[in-house]
Amino acid sequence: MKKAPKPLPACATPVAEGMKIFTASEQAVKAQKGVMEFLLINHPLDCPICDQGGECELQDLAVGYGGSASRYHEEKRVVLHKDIGPLVAAEEMSRCINCTRCVRFGIEIGGAMELGQAFRGEHAEIMAFVSDTVDSELSGNMIDLCPVGALTSKPFRYSARTWELSRRKSISPHDSLGSNLAVQVKNNRVMRVLPIENEDVNECWLSDKDRFSYEGLNSAERLTKPMIKQGGKWLEVEWQVALEYVSNGLRQIAHEAGAEYIGALATPHSTLEELYLLQKLVRGLGSHNVDFRLRQSDFSADSKQTGAPWLGMAVADVNLVDRFLLVGSFLRKDHPLLASRVRQATKKGAQVNLIHATDDDLLMPIANKEIVPPTEMATVLAQVLKALSTIKQATLDTSVQQIVQPVTPTASAQAMADSLASGERVAVLLGNFAQQHPQASQLQLLAQHIATLCGAKFGFFGEAANSVGGYLAQAVPFAGAEHGMNASAMLAAQRKAYILLNTEVELDMQNPQQALAAMGAADMVVALSAYKHHAMEYADVLLPIAPFTETSGTFVSSEGRAQSFKGTVQPLGDARPAWKVLRVLGNMLNIPGFDYNNSEAVRDEVLGGGTDVSAKLGNVLHSVSAQTATWNVTGLQRVSDVPIYATDAIVRRAASLQKTRDATTPCALIHSIELEKLNLQSGEMVKLTQGQGSVRLSIIADDSLPRGVVRVAAGHTITAELGAMFGTIRVERA
Amino acid sequence: MEKITNFFKTFLLLELVKGMALTGRHFFARKITVQFPEEKTPQGFRFRGLHALRRYANDEERCIGCKLCEAVCPAMAIHIETEERADGTRRTTRYDIDLVKCIFCGLCEEACPVDAIVETRILEYHGEKRGDLYYTKPMLLAVGEKYEEQIAKDRASDAKYR
Repeated sequence: MKKAPKPLPACATPVAEGMKIFTASEQAVKAQKGVMEFLLINHPLDCPICDQGGECELQDLAVGYGGSASRYHEEKRVVLHKDIGPLVAAEEMSRCINCTRCVRFGIEIGGAMELGQAFRGEHAEIMAFVSDTVDSELSGNMIDLCPVGALTSKPFRYSARTWELSRRKSISPHDSLGSNLAVQVKNNRVMRVLPIENEDVNECWLSDKDRFSYEGLNSAERLTKPMIKQGGKWLEVEWQVALEYVSNGLRQIAHEAGAEYIGALATPHSTLEELYLLQKLVRGLGSHNVDFRLRQSDFSADSKQTGAPWLGMAVADVNLVDRFLLVGSFLRKDHPLLASRVRQATKKGAQVNLIHATDDDLLMPIANKEIVPPTEMATVLAQVLKALSTIKQATLDTSVQQIVQPVTPTASAQAMADSLASGERVAVLLGNFAQQHPQASQLQLLAQHIATLCGAKFGFFGEAANSVGGYLAQAVPFAGAEHGMNASAMLAAQRKAYILLNTEVELDMQNPQQALAAMGAADMVVALSAYKHHAMEYADVLLPIAPFTETSGTFVSSEGRAQSFKGTVQPLGDARPAWKVLRVLGNMLNIPGFDYNNSEAVRDEVLGGGTDVSAKLGNVLHSVSAQTATWNVTGLQRVSDVPIYATDAIVRRAASLQKTRDATTPCALIHSIELEKLNLQSGEMVKLTQGQGSVRLSIIADDSLPRGVVRVAAGHTITAELGAMFGTIRVERA
Repeated sequence: MEKITNFFKTFLLLELVKGMALTGRHFFARKITVQFPEEKTPQGFRFRGLHALRRYANDEERCIGCKLCEAVCPAMAIHIETEERADGTRRTTRYDIDLVKCIFCGLCEEACPVDAIVETRILEYHGEKRGDLYYTKPMLLAVGEKYEEQIAKDRASDAKYR
């Protein structure tokens, strides 16, 4: 800089009027070289064995600004390696240049300072602070942030060099955010997944689930050949044989028992095209029993809503909200990156009001919270609504009067109402728990009225990558002129044939007990799956389909962003993209309109050309009225979350994710007073019973839970014997 | 003037004499043709022949699987697969050089940070079938073991120029 006595650092010098800056002057170049020399003093020269080699910021800087040889011959500093968990490798901490980006990430984005810098000067080193491991669900981002090879990816360790990988774009199939992924491929195999920067969606971050789930893609459990069960034995067959078997079977059941005895269950992690073709196939057969809302239990809002339930706002606008009302959401675990956006908003002064059945740490300040059993959630919402209507001096709609009239707002409901009324940009958001709740439509209606009263945005976080897309693809029983059975009814009234798309009924359904019974009783179960799973026991045909990396398709995220992606690798073995399988099945069954050349043609048929789906979205309920609570539970009631790494087939098979603390074997959690009442000790093994099924788990006291509930995770093989995610549960000493 | 010079040159067969002188010089000069394989021409220590993978004195293989040679190879003749060994280091599970593709440019040798892949002085090797000249890791290590002494000597003589 002209007239400055010393060179100034570009990153820390504000620009001023009339400044003259020289970046390549002799003085500047000399200073740059000097800085590089200092940075490299303690940095080992092990680029050839370093996983960061080739994408290392320090390497780039050294090549660009450093000297060609080192003048440093003294001893280098040694920092011991650390084990900070199964995802992030801190094996060569000597490489650390103490930039503390990882520490800042924890504080500013992750919400908890899990890594910190201890000691001073040459002894300064990065280490895990509170616990020995980094357990954040966003921890993988530290790998990207680390400019050197100090923090690297453990699953990817030494498996490839960065320059060997080709980079292909894709979209996350897990949570409802629709994160943009760069899938890195070598020899037709997915080697790792990195984020693609998209400020409107995932910014530059990626949740660990999106980042490390790729390990499940090449799991040993992958189904690579079509299989048919004959005489109790599984035989590998050709596609032609399997498809003929399926089409003959379906045709026979439709003919003999009636088409309404066919039901189809798909997960919301399937693509738009797959869901659309599945419902087209089922409807072509004459049945309307198709559903993708597998964990939902209250379907009374069906066809009474103005459109597909969605976030009600753009994801990017979440940062701008100043008052949140979150109802029934395991926000951090279900939507890691949306949680981070809410956290950013709280840093700017937003107040978060939470109504939920568990009090997990959201790692952000919570202004008001009401932690109540599921049966009470509607009442709390009614209280908030009442308090709010008093503040706003508004008369309530007749549809909610019956439930609101008798309640008296508690102090915290009043505080929530005050908080919401004082906001300028308010958002009322319902989580997965609220959507799975047996009174989901009541919660929705009450939340909707709260939102209307305070002029708030109103929406749903959405359970999975294609929770919105499923509605657009009409994979719901009420989409056609005739209404069919929903996911729950299809199992209650057992069908003769089931088509399962990506579905593991014992893990993906609201009531695994009922689901398994229905599968066992069915004459024919066709499982389209990427994996050999429990369906081996009840299915008759397994058709190997491709996971998201091996097929083209579209996911519609919770904000209504339709994002199409192409396959990144060839399908493994004989697996085929599910949309192709369904197309061929459609042709074999002589259903008209199954002549698609590519998945784009299917997408265009669903979305009518473009990708703008805003006209089809809508959260507003009409002609539904809230009743005073008719849902009574005797004794203890169950509260279930779907653990972050148990949500879908791919993450369940991602080995490293399954080693994390979030994926430990579930145990039953209960308030210590209830535990005392049951005369049990924390840590003891207990027998939990729901309906006919029971499991043995250890019971742990957790005083953050409301009284009268037992928290047991769903979506896990151990708890699959239990019944519905909500309702009565019995606890006895085992 | 030129015409006169040319006349004398032609008349005195000057060009012929010049030519015969050259022939004569070579006729009596020392011959460079050798009777291969009984006789051999001398080789420099930088001779680039058959590849070898080297080991350290303690029998540990030098290669650390950094794949720089694979990246630099202009003929794409090198194929490497690596994995993490039990002791936490990266090691190759496959290290193949297709000598049919190889152009013996020596870039792999130059790229190697640990002097693991080297080109030896050996030029007399052959293959009888297709695929015989596809050298795998054990073959390359065997070459290295056999000629380690020579290789080490050559590296040592080259060291001062590097």
